[in-house]
Amino acid sequence: MFIARSEYDRGINTFSPEGRLFQVEYSLEAIKLGSTAIGVATGEGVVLGVEKRVTSTLLETSSVEKIVEIDRHIGCAMSGLQADARSMVEHARVESQNHAFHYNEKLRVESCTQAICDLALRFGEGAQGEDSIMSRPFGVALLIAGYDEDGPSLYHAEPSGTFYRYDAKAIGSGSEGAQAELQNEFHKSLTLPEAEVLVLKTLKQVMEEKLDSKNVQLASVTKEKGFRIYTDAEMEEVVGRLPTN
Amino acid sequence: MDSLVSQYSRPVHSAEGPSQDEHQELSQTTPPLSLQFSLPPVAQSSAWLRAMTDDYSNPNCPIKIAHGTTTLAFRFKGGIIVATDSRATAGNWIASQTVKKVIEINNCLLGTMAGGAADCQYWLAYLGMQCRLHELRHKRRISVAAASKILANLVYSYKGMGLSMGTMCAGVTPQEGPALYYIDSDGTRLAGNLFCVGSGQTFAYGVLDAEYSYDLDDEAALELGRRSILAATHRDAYSGGFINLYHVKEDGWVKHGFNDTNPIFWKTKLEKGEFSNVTADLE
Amino acid sequence: MASVFSGAPPQSGPGYSFKQTPTEAPSGTRQHGFYPYTDNGGSTLGISGADFTILAGDTRHTSGYNINTRYAPKLFKIGGEGPDNKGASIVLSVVGFAADGEALKERLDTIVKMYKYQHGKPMSVAACAQRLSHILYGKRFFPYYVHAILGGLDEEGRGALYSYDPVGSYEREQCRAAGAAASLIMPFLDNQVNFKNQYVPDSGSGHELQEKPRTPLDQNHVLELVRDAFTSAVERHIEVGDGLQVMIIKKEGIMEAFHPLKQD
Repeated sequence: MFIARSEYDRGINTFSPEGRLFQVEYSLEAIKLGSTAIGVATGEGVVLGVEKRVTSTLLETSSVEKIVEIDRHIGCAMSGLQADARSMVEHARVESQNHAFHYNEKLRVESCTQAICDLALRFGEGAQGEDSIMSRPFGVALLIAGYDEDGPSLYHAEPSGTFYRYDAKAIGSGSEGAQAELQNEFHKSLTLPEAEVLVLKTLKQVMEEKLDSKNVQLASVTKEKGFRIYTDAEMEEVVGRLPTN
Repeated sequence: MDSLVSQYSRPVHSAEGPSQDEHQELSQTTPPLSLQFSLPPVAQSSAWLRAMTDDYSNPNCPIKIAHGTTTLAFRFKGGIIVATDSRATAGNWIASQTVKKVIEINNCLLGTMAGGAADCQYWLAYLGMQCRLHELRHKRRISVAAASKILANLVYSYKGMGLSMGTMCAGVTPQEGPALYYIDSDGTRLAGNLFCVGSGQTFAYGVLDAEYSYDLDDEAALELGRRSILAATHRDAYSGGFINLYHVKEDGWVKHGFNDTNPIFWKTKLEKGEFSNVTADLE
Repeated sequence: MASVFSGAPPQSGPGYSFKQTPTEAPSGTRQHGFYPYTDNGGSTLGISGADFTILAGDTRHTSGYNINTRYAPKLFKIGGEGPDNKGASIVLSVVGFAADGEALKERLDTIVKMYKYQHGKPMSVAACAQRLSHILYGKRFFPYYVHAILGGLDEEGRGALYSYDPVGSYEREQCRAAGAAASLIMPFLDNQVNFKNQYVPDSGSGHELQEKPRTPLDQNHVLELVRDAFTSAVERHIEVGDGLQVMIIKKEGIMEAFHPLKQD
């Protein structure tokens, strides 16, 4: 894919003669190095799941934070350079609160995703009226899950600034295998507990380590409870429900 | 000379149409969180604003902003009682009798409103947003001390510009227990057991100071809050309307009604024999 | 909250519109001759019902004792399609300085229209109400000299009415009158819409009297109240008259009507 390397590699916002922005394309590659994250949308709510790469037994697993809250009704899972995600999440939180401040209503999930993606293209030299905030594209992809007046929804936001809505989506190093699995297993009438199992089952297949309740994390967004990260006890309960094989 | 002037002055019409800033404001999804307010094109904008809006120094000022109030809050062993009246006055015109002067910053923090209604409403909503962001960033509830400090620093940065607010922040947190702060537009921030703010504050203090004790039980504390506001509505013409009563506890605040003062006054007089200066005879 | 503070109650002597000379600041220092406001008189009023909201305003436009025009609308549809705002469901009424009112309306209208493109849904009245408050507050130090009333239908389809002070404090209410004749109209509305000081006949005497319970009013009845309020105000206020513009916001859309008032 990248045989024709050239000086266009280096220009952050210069098109190659073939019409490509190499740095943006490379940033998409960076995500394929990240840990796997999966989102599944059901009629009852959205389930997010990530693998935590526990590289050492001395690592405090609760400090690996790959699912974060954006607002009561929106959460996101990340894969790629986590430090980059921090500033995107901060931006999304401020946008969401700012919207609530000015309009006295929740920010829609799509609008929130749009706000995050607006940030994605602000690299290189700043355009007129806008300050550039990054010298390179973001190296992280997000799965944004939320519940608004249109029901539950799941969005995938890329460093290129494009976003799509998905019923089920996997990102990160194991995404290809996981996406194929989701393709087979997903159906419209999934319940939330079924989706929890589907997420973990899919993660289990693509993870190098053996899946247990400590090296994965789940979160859900539902109408009643909003966004919540599963507690250790709930994680153990869901892991216990996994079919053993 | 003329050519020199024309070289450096642009025709007036070139400034027509929306400015760059206005363009940007419209194209943005939500306005950015900047604290930029438009200012009148005069050197002394605060003096100008005062001449236009301060009905104390200039009763004929064109723009009348709501004032006049009695608000109180006090700490006791069961939490914090917050009580207010509900009258808003512009000059001697009663602009509203149904103002909600207790502002629900979030489900465990309350703010009260005295002074400019818009100032309190806007900045306490702004504070609510900042508290929520604090919660998201630090994964725990903001302390009342921190919340009140955000507000105090904020209004201090506008000192002398003409804001008018006297507010109390009340909340109960696990770290602090019941915590009560008074913040005003001069930048004052005080922690304390009890405060009354507004034109009727002296009347409310009279009742509150006489009967207050930290060891009151919940019912007695609510009644004391209600009775203090009643006293203020009775003697302060700028206070009146309804008594708005809240009880803040550790797991959040509880609303105890928005009740008309008139029946409460008569009940207090006829059943308890207070306000004996007022005659109850209809003839 | 404290909503609209309409012009002060009738004062003694001529002094209703602003003096053209600058007033002195409290310190006694002389102000610049910067006097950007004129009171263009007139009055507006709004009443919300079970499934409708009615807004009304007279169409006289004055400065001082001069009548500039007999038809200057104070009611504006917000956020419909095209320049005629087809399909709008929110109405803004402004009274005070007409130029500020016009500017405010343009700004709110643009924001509501942009919102629809950006969020893919029409703005709710509650959202519009909060936004309007913040627009007004954005000019806290150089206020719009207007008393705004915003009307529409809430998410449940009930009438929603929000009233504002010049710098954006707002409150949802059943009824509100603003402008020059607010002090004449508001007491009438308190009595007729909120049944203030009305008691149930034969329910006792003295302190035993029962207050008349609040009941939702019928649309035609409210329309009668609105017209009575204005015809009465015209009799006693020089800045009110000429024509009455009425907008009724219902689920089906906005109906606009015009009734003549006294022209003297």
